[in-house]
Amino acid sequence: MSCAPFDLKDYFLGELGEPEAQQVRTHLGACLACREELERLRLTQAALLTLRDEEVPRRIAFVSDKVFERRWWQWLWQSGPRLGFASAAVLSLAILAHALLAPSPPVTQPVDTAALEQRIESAIAKAVAETEARQAAQIQKAVSAAREEMEFQRKADLLAVEENLEVFKKRMNVLQIYLASNVEGGGR
Amino acid sequence: MIFREVEDRDLIAKARRGDVEGFNLLISRWEKRVFNYLLRLVGNREDALDLSQEVFLKTYQHLAKLEDPARFGPWLYRIAHNEAFSLLRRRRPEGELEGEPAAGAERYRMYPVEMSLAVERALARLSEEQREAVVLRIYQGFKFEEMAEVLACPVSTVKSRLYTALDLLKETLAPIQTRSLE
Repeated sequence: MSCAPFDLKDYFLGELGEPEAQQVRTHLGACLACREELERLRLTQAALLTLRDEEVPRRIAFVSDKVFERRWWQWLWQSGPRLGFASAAVLSLAILAHALLAPSPPVTQPVDTAALEQRIESAIAKAVAETEARQAAQIQKAVSAAREEMEFQRKADLLAVEENLEVFKKRMNVLQIYLASNVEGGGR
Repeated sequence: MIFREVEDRDLIAKARRGDVEGFNLLISRWEKRVFNYLLRLVGNREDALDLSQEVFLKTYQHLAKLEDPARFGPWLYRIAHNEAFSLLRRRRPEGELEGEPAAGAERYRMYPVEMSLAVERALARLSEEQREAVVLRIYQGFKFEEMAEVLACPVSTVKSRLYTALDLLKETLAPIQTRSLE
């Protein structure tokens, strides 16, 4: 047990402030027992420090080894902002892919109203003309077909009349022959 | 020391971003100190090496939990302390009194030199807590506040353990050291 004003070990280890350390130094100048105690502490520390640090005997397995590496999803999952950023990146890629693969929209140009109206009118006129021509052709075709059918029907009727007339003539001839034979038989 | 802290902080930031090489560099700066701390605590090279690997693995896994990168040293040693005492508890036979030298500590046979042998034996006679206090302060150069952080106990407890240990060591080593100087 030392008689120093402060713990000699605090002084030895440099734990005292300068005013306290100065008081201890003053005391040590006058106290042999405390000087010897301080010397024993120094010898003890010197003895302890003869034990030197050893080199690490072999390489310590660092995280560069595969077994320690985090998988990509662990790396991603362990950070909220990183996960958010990755989600945003995936969304951006999806949008980009959609933009590249989808048909491109028509290119918008400044509108010339007069030219547009003219083009519309000419398109309408052309469409109307085409429709009218198509209708006229259809009508013409229908009329021709009707005429042909009427002509065919007329010829058929004419043939039927001629055939009936022929039949009638034959019947008249038969009747005339019958009448003539009856007249000759009665006269006798 | 300031440069070391700054560089450590940069390496920690890189490691947190997933830079494996940054973490490797960080560990290469600390592995020798951590290994020797563990070696003097558990007294066996193989155990110290296994523990070192476990410490660095846990460091990597929990690096995101380190709140202040400037406190990386005490934080790393806290992990090392937990690993070492977990092993010492498993080693300790049933009924052995707290504070008795651990069985592993008797295996301090690292240097053939007489003084080194005497130091190893003297350290082995300390309790695990006393020996750890000596290792952290004398060999690793930690301040009392940092030691309290590593050991998760008050500064007064740290000082008490260290000063008791120094008194015990002084009785054994001071006379030997005096003779060796004569």
